[in-house]
Amino acid sequence: MNHQSTDINVSRRQFLKVSVTATGSFSLASFLPGCATFGGKALSEGGDWAANAWLEITSESNIIFTLDRVEMGQGTTTGLTTLLAEELGVEPETVTVIYAPVANDYRNPEYGLQMTGGSNSLSTSWGQIRLAGATAREMLVAAAAEVYEVPVEQCQANDGYVALADHSKKLSYGELAVLAASQSVPSNPRLKPAAEFRFIGKQNKRLDIAGKVNGRTVYGIDTDVEGMVYAVISRSPVIGGKVKQFDASKALASKGIVAVFEVYNGIAVLAEQYWQARKAQQTLEIEWDEGPLAELSSDDMFQSFKQAALADQGKIVRDEGDFDDAVEGAARVFEAEYHTPFLAHATLEPMNCVVEVRDNHAQVWAPTQAPDLARIAVARVTDLSPSDVDVTVTAIGGGFGRRLTQDFIEEAAAVATQAKRPVKLMWSREEDTQHDWYRPATYHKLKATFNDTGGVTGWDHQIVAPNLLDWYIRDAAPAQYPWAPKFMYGMLGSIGLAMQGVAVPKDETAIEGAVSVPYDIANLQVRHTHADIGVPVSFWRSVGHSQNAFYVESFIDELAHETMTDPFLFRQSLLQNQPRQRRVLELAAEQSGWSKSLPKGRFRGISVHKSFKSYAAQVVELSVDNGEINMHRVVCAIDCGIVVNPDIVKAQMESGIIFALTAALYGEISLKNGRVEQSNFDDYKLLRMNETPEIDVYIVDSNESPTGVGEPGVPPLAPAVANAIFAATGKRLRSLPLRLT
Amino acid sequence: MKIAVNGVEQVVEFEPDTPLLWVIRDELKLKGTKFGCGKGLCGACTVHLNGHAIRSCITPVSAVENQNITTIEGLGSDDTPHPLQASWVEFNVPQCGYCQSGQLMSASALLAQNANPTDADIDSAMSGNACRCGTYPRIKAAIHHTADNLKNS
Repeated sequence: MNHQSTDINVSRRQFLKVSVTATGSFSLASFLPGCATFGGKALSEGGDWAANAWLEITSESNIIFTLDRVEMGQGTTTGLTTLLAEELGVEPETVTVIYAPVANDYRNPEYGLQMTGGSNSLSTSWGQIRLAGATAREMLVAAAAEVYEVPVEQCQANDGYVALADHSKKLSYGELAVLAASQSVPSNPRLKPAAEFRFIGKQNKRLDIAGKVNGRTVYGIDTDVEGMVYAVISRSPVIGGKVKQFDASKALASKGIVAVFEVYNGIAVLAEQYWQARKAQQTLEIEWDEGPLAELSSDDMFQSFKQAALADQGKIVRDEGDFDDAVEGAARVFEAEYHTPFLAHATLEPMNCVVEVRDNHAQVWAPTQAPDLARIAVARVTDLSPSDVDVTVTAIGGGFGRRLTQDFIEEAAAVATQAKRPVKLMWSREEDTQHDWYRPATYHKLKATFNDTGGVTGWDHQIVAPNLLDWYIRDAAPAQYPWAPKFMYGMLGSIGLAMQGVAVPKDETAIEGAVSVPYDIANLQVRHTHADIGVPVSFWRSVGHSQNAFYVESFIDELAHETMTDPFLFRQSLLQNQPRQRRVLELAAEQSGWSKSLPKGRFRGISVHKSFKSYAAQVVELSVDNGEINMHRVVCAIDCGIVVNPDIVKAQMESGIIFALTAALYGEISLKNGRVEQSNFDDYKLLRMNETPEIDVYIVDSNESPTGVGEPGVPPLAPAVANAIFAATGKRLRSLPLRLT
Repeated sequence: MKIAVNGVEQVVEFEPDTPLLWVIRDELKLKGTKFGCGKGLCGACTVHLNGHAIRSCITPVSAVENQNITTIEGLGSDDTPHPLQASWVEFNVPQCGYCQSGQLMSASALLAQNANPTDADIDSAMSGNACRCGTYPRIKAAIHHTADNLKNS
């Protein structure tokens, strides 16, 4: 129970709350108003309140940080812990990190959802978590000053102790915790200036490594619970198909089988052992109602996109000058068509989830990027309401946006409810590849106008693509309004929000990175023609930027060559009003030796792209041998504002580049007869060590607030490779993956 | 049937065609060995069979009866980690970490057979292990570093 608590509005946007727990721990939480649940009720339930705190200092001086973002390898655990540790003056390694349960207080302030994605963990936590640390530090210092009977100026907090300036006395944070909690909460705690940073910008160790080198980190797939059985589901081979009828007699006769039954999207097979479930699954005889996509092929889809582009000029999403005028006055018009395929996420840990439903309560263990959406997914297929569902987020074997969609959790909940016992649902690699929610396939038309001296006067970009939020809002909208009765979920997912006067978030997923084309062109328009073929789509590392950078940065390269200008100088001349883009472009060019000649047979390509508020430029060096593309080197310049952990920034650039190379050289999910043609890593290939180029990362020194690093390394890569292939072969590849044969 | 895992003899009851991976994970509760593809394509399930790296997801348990299996849990200990594990920490190799048990098992089998591997040797031994986070440059650097340390010690 709390002995004591204080609320104070420390600024217009921040609230802090402090209390002492039953064990004498000092807790401090920072909340955003409007999201916070604190108040009389929360305080009277002391135990719960302490669990929701971001920071707890125990009487034994343990510093416990509740992290409200998930760790997928992107380094958030280390980055956010470093912010807290910096202000508390303790080594980041000494802080114990626990992962947050579902609570409104832990919502991502940019989304109003408890979600990790969009490369914004550091940018949204930069002020908030340092403030939480600084507030605690000042209260510890005030407590010590009271004990020592000196002014606070004579006390220093460092390495877990508050000492007198002359070091004659010191007390540990734990010893001071109870007294610290009784201090008034400072209204304007002093954040450490950059000159005093001990860890920010200097911390290069990750805090999550030990368990990842000895096999002890527990991922979703490693979760075991008492009485659990293994489940697999046979889903329709045609996207969107349903079970018409099935015969499970052979499966039921298989060894170890517990049950076979139909769920909303297929037939579930439950067994004592995983392999028993898989073997029995192969004997199922299922007749499918293949549904409306039974005839769909990728070729037909792109044809329909082309028709859509002609039939619908699209919504104008950016309009500067007058493009029609530019066409009329042009000495020359140049145009090109591009397209990119669906892509699977291919996280190395396949989709899986453990669910136990008992006594009107569900416990979920899942590798998810959005635990509050998981509760909605579970509620939809059970008799439970979201508040009856607890979600424990496990370690995550790769996210890349895949785990923002909760379909695998919904399935597991449906199976566990029907099975009336705990279930571990596991997807095979084939199922993971063929039942993903994909990066959308899109089709683009670009057109530019030149004057008679070769200057670019106009730019018209037509995007034919679906909106991701059309698919996502099904779970996201109810998660924002968990009080809504379940019969409203469908309405909330579409027009319901607007009818209630709630603003539906603006969906920029189709246009991002294209609408923001940075080049200084007088007459510029970007249009979006909405086209959705009915294949589930979702967020894929760097989302719209992942394709749109390919289109914009390939087409600008085409314009450079059309005007016989060096592609670097051409971009530089059109970025005179974009200093941060220009800076990374120049840095990448300089470090790659752009102006110097290459050994015979080697060629370069360049690109620059802003995403998630960060700026990245890349120069690729490759050779082409009998149509085979050999990557030699990638030079990457990144401006992500103030750097908290330089080695993680570097690692994320390496990661983004390799992830993007897989997509640029191999990535394609194609459809035939409504079925995904790829199935495993033999036909949906991942880049391997022997294909990985040398990668050199250069970080721009900056005083700007920190911005994203998990995704911005991805977008510039594919166009830089395509541009280098053009330099090598004179062939302009206008679709992905990049293939010369 | 009997198998020896990390030096401990185990009696397990599984159908003979069950992949070793599921026996290790679900019966012996050694969860460090991972499932990634089920076809021997990604290397997440790599363990040692009598010192050699094998893919446990396509190895029937009956094929390893009475033989010695080593998993990531048996590669080193907290007090004396395998030198590669120490290098993995030093080079901040893991990101999501899911593939790293398999990477370490392949790398340790390589070093056991070739104390001084070239880039090409490392590529050849490691290109069966996929990493979706793209930690390859650090894995390669960490293997070289480990080999250099062992040479100088």
